[in-house]
Amino acid sequence: MSLAKSPWIIHVNVNSCNGCDIEVVACLTPLYDAERFGVLNIGTPKQADIMVVTGSVNYKNVNVLKNLYNQIPDPKVVLAVGACASTGGIFHDCYNVVGGVDQVIPVDAYVPGCCPRPEAILDGVVAALSILENKKKGNIKGKEVKLKGNEVPSNA
Amino acid sequence: MNTNDILLAVLVLIGAPIIGCIASGIDRKITARLQGRVGPPLLQPYYDVKKLLSKDNMVVNPSQNFYVVVYLVFIVLSLLMLVFKQDFLMIIFVYTVASIALIVGGMSTGSPYARIGSSREIMAILSYEPVLILYALAIYLLTGTFKLSAVVDASSPLLVYTPLIFIAMIVVLNIKLKKSPFDYSTSHHGHQELVKGMTTEYGGPGFATIEIAHFYEYVFLTGLIFLFWASNPIIGVLLGIIAYLLIIVIDNITARVYWQWMLKLSWSVLLIISIVNIAFLYVSGVQLA
Amino acid sequence: MIENTVMLLIIVPILFSLLFVALPKSLYKYLAWAFFIIGVALSVNLVLDGTGVVQIGEPNFAMFENIVLILEVLVILFILAVSAKYKNWPTLGLGIVSAALFAYTFTNVPGAEGASFNIDQFSQIMILIVNIVGTAIILFATGYMDEYEEHRHLHRQKTFYFTMSFFLAAMNGLVMADTLGWLFLFWELTTLCSFVLISYNMDEEGINNGFRALALNLVGGIALSIGIILLATKYEIITLSGIGTYAGTDAAAMAAVALPVALLCIGGFAKSAQMPFQSWLLGAMVAPTPVSALLHSSTMVNAGVFLVVKLVPAFAGSSLGTAIAVYGSFTFVMCSALALSQRNAKRVLAYSTIANLGLIIASAGIGTPLAVAAAIMLILFHAISKALLFLCTGEIEHTIGSRDIEDMSGLINKAPLLTTLAALGMVSMLLPPFGVLLTKWVSMEAASSNPVVIVFLILGSALTTVYYAKWLGTILSSSMDKNAVPHKKPETYFPLSFLGLAIVVTSIFVFSIYNYFIKPQVEILLKTAPVISGQAGQFTSEIGAFAYAAIFVVLALAVLIYLATKNMFTPRTSSYYMCGENNLEKDRLMFRNGLCSYEKSSVSNIYLQNTFGESKLTTLGYAISIILIVIALAGVGL
Repeated sequence: MSLAKSPWIIHVNVNSCNGCDIEVVACLTPLYDAERFGVLNIGTPKQADIMVVTGSVNYKNVNVLKNLYNQIPDPKVVLAVGACASTGGIFHDCYNVVGGVDQVIPVDAYVPGCCPRPEAILDGVVAALSILENKKKGNIKGKEVKLKGNEVPSNA
Repeated sequence: MNTNDILLAVLVLIGAPIIGCIASGIDRKITARLQGRVGPPLLQPYYDVKKLLSKDNMVVNPSQNFYVVVYLVFIVLSLLMLVFKQDFLMIIFVYTVASIALIVGGMSTGSPYARIGSSREIMAILSYEPVLILYALAIYLLTGTFKLSAVVDASSPLLVYTPLIFIAMIVVLNIKLKKSPFDYSTSHHGHQELVKGMTTEYGGPGFATIEIAHFYEYVFLTGLIFLFWASNPIIGVLLGIIAYLLIIVIDNITARVYWQWMLKLSWSVLLIISIVNIAFLYVSGVQLA
Repeated sequence: MIENTVMLLIIVPILFSLLFVALPKSLYKYLAWAFFIIGVALSVNLVLDGTGVVQIGEPNFAMFENIVLILEVLVILFILAVSAKYKNWPTLGLGIVSAALFAYTFTNVPGAEGASFNIDQFSQIMILIVNIVGTAIILFATGYMDEYEEHRHLHRQKTFYFTMSFFLAAMNGLVMADTLGWLFLFWELTTLCSFVLISYNMDEEGINNGFRALALNLVGGIALSIGIILLATKYEIITLSGIGTYAGTDAAAMAAVALPVALLCIGGFAKSAQMPFQSWLLGAMVAPTPVSALLHSSTMVNAGVFLVVKLVPAFAGSSLGTAIAVYGSFTFVMCSALALSQRNAKRVLAYSTIANLGLIIASAGIGTPLAVAAAIMLILFHAISKALLFLCTGEIEHTIGSRDIEDMSGLINKAPLLTTLAALGMVSMLLPPFGVLLTKWVSMEAASSNPVVIVFLILGSALTTVYYAKWLGTILSSSMDKNAVPHKKPETYFPLSFLGLAIVVTSIFVFSIYNYFIKPQVEILLKTAPVISGQAGQFTSEIGAFAYAAIFVVLALAVLIYLATKNMFTPRTSSYYMCGENNLEKDRLMFRNGLCSYEKSSVSNIYLQNTFGESKLTTLGYAISIILIVIALAGVGL
């Protein structure tokens, strides 16, 4: 139970339009007060349990996302927030976009919507908690994602 | 060392983190209420530590956790020495070992953010250490010894003769607890210009060690305030609690300042009022009854 | 027995200095090892011989006295010749004044019938420092100087080793001599040797700094010789211990000799590079590192504080003592503040040395038994720690090619053993349970009765913590690049490890050292022993207690806990947090910027140049320290 009572999140914005980010921040306001559940928005991946990613992934920030993912100690879960993070959204066929977050790192839970409401995001965090507990119990380690150096579009 | 002493030591070793944990929980609860939120459960710091201990031990270099272990054991040692009424000057030096260990731990990771936090914490030492030693000097002048037993055994409170040092010590408490406006070496909300300052690279068990050491440190620092009215333990404890609550309120109503501002405040106002207080003690030659 | 050891202590270093000249460079390594072993054996032998006074009477005295006279003439002639050659007029002027004073002494002061060496516990400690730390430094030099000379295209190693060894001989004589005339000779010999060593590089900077050292030390020497003349003509005191016997604890006698004693102290201040004289020690940084280490830790500067501490019975408790205490503590706080603003590691160490000597002088000035004990202990612990730190800085400079503190970040990855030793040296300077902090604690407790001194000590102590902490953090920080070539020669690493070990051992056995050396010495000086009770493992004075053993135990406990829990949690390593922008191709300290090119991230410590910089504080320091000396002199003159 220890993990579920104190989920610390790191919020990563990859190529987001900031709509989802505002909603993520709204979760921490007095109205929704995510800290009731022990949720803290922590700045460093070294102390985080849940990685909240907003926005579609583009070639410029693939390495950033992989790096941050590798720097989170296990057990950890990744939560894709918003349509872009889940599938690439309306940007999915842009020339510089790789796609959803799951194209780069393993994602455990998706929160769809453009933008998702804060309640939905909190619901996603709560859903992630049980996954986190399962990972701890099953001693499942996230695999290290290899970096390939500078990512460039294959058609460039 | 007789049985009573050992019992007391064990009591401190077990009791202090519990008190510190609850104090930390109260802090978060009050902060939430001041912001109009419900806030986390009272035992949230305990859940946090328990969680951190169950995570992987992720480090940048193998030695970084050594420094936090040193930090922990020396905080515990200085608390024990306080409880056993040892030489106050000595306690301050032992406490300095702990502070330096945390700073070196932060710097040892090599991370730019941790090094910024550590540099600022070094400046914090420059700000608070003279005040702490002047406090020790005041105790010497009033009792003729640096040993704390004289303060505890006296029948009149220290605060009557050292009001200015008390004010300075409240600010020192603020600096040491890393609360706003002096929270620039590690911030409690980690998405700012220095991320998490000194503790940026600590996660899992290493960070849990730091948190546990903080619990002990809370008790140690309020213990220093307790000494101002040690003749009556109930008033002394009340004084400690009031000081702690005051720090939490200050934390919530102020914004972070430049470290230069703190250095100026400390070396002008705090040092001068402390020295004025000391000069008064010299001139009047009063003794603690 | 003891006579032989005393003579050997002076003759053997001279013999070695001649051997260094006679033998080829390839044999220096073995010579230095032999010198080290013989130095250790001789100094330990002196301690085992016990204390006592060695009288040199007829028939040998006349011969020795003539040798002393000839040497003094030679010293003065050398000073005159060299300052004339380089057209350094101030030094020439001071040399002429010295010559005049010498001529005056020779004609007007009645000659003595004998001379004596006084071996007390303090001399034993000094002999141990000089002959163990000093020879360890020479041993280090054999592994250091080749590369140093190669960089600078110099071939002066014969001069170097000759002077270094001769320096030790002069220093041995200085700390054992009781006759003031002889002491003065050794005093001037160390001045001369330091001049030769500082101007070793023979470039303009080196020679200028050498002359500065010579001139400032000549000022001190002149004060010293006037003091000696006054003592001999007015009070018929011709020995160092005679001053203490004359002044005793009698206030009237103390006031009578106050002026010559103050002059002798000024000589000591100049030698110890206290505030108005501090520039010579900073200038001495241009010399090779072994020279700095030798001057700063075990020999030159210690001569000054040695003299001041020896004079304690003549000013303990008087107004002169208070003035000296205020003066010393002022130097302590001022130089600590100056050290804070320095980036150059050797300058940090130089200011730290001056500050610590100020602390020793302040403790001596306070003059209570506790304070004098602190002063003597601080001389011992400071010598070991500072020698280690200087030698480490020299080796670091050869490893990474810089003595800038900022360039030392990541050193722990490049040269782990060297960094560990340097870190031990720094920790021993500022944290308990090591000796320096213990003595700082004792002197603070002793100073607590003097408001000005204690406030200065408190501020200086905080500043000391700060400038060592940031250096310590910098060398222990890890970085990913590994561009360094550690040199692993036994001649360099043995002295370093030996000194590191010595720090730990002396700190553990501090109570035995106190009981064996310091307590009897304070009894000799002040007729009362400090009220320090307690057993091994704890220092208990009348006003406090320092449980250093407990701290050692806790430190060991920390290591045990760390080792035990190291593998309890799944260990993983990762690179550090750089907002995810860590790059793999290059040095990992780089951020990728918006144009996909790389920019180096660099973090520097805080130096507060605008507050504590040399340009801000030096003038103030000169002004106040000169005022303090004038006040002290005016006070005793009236």
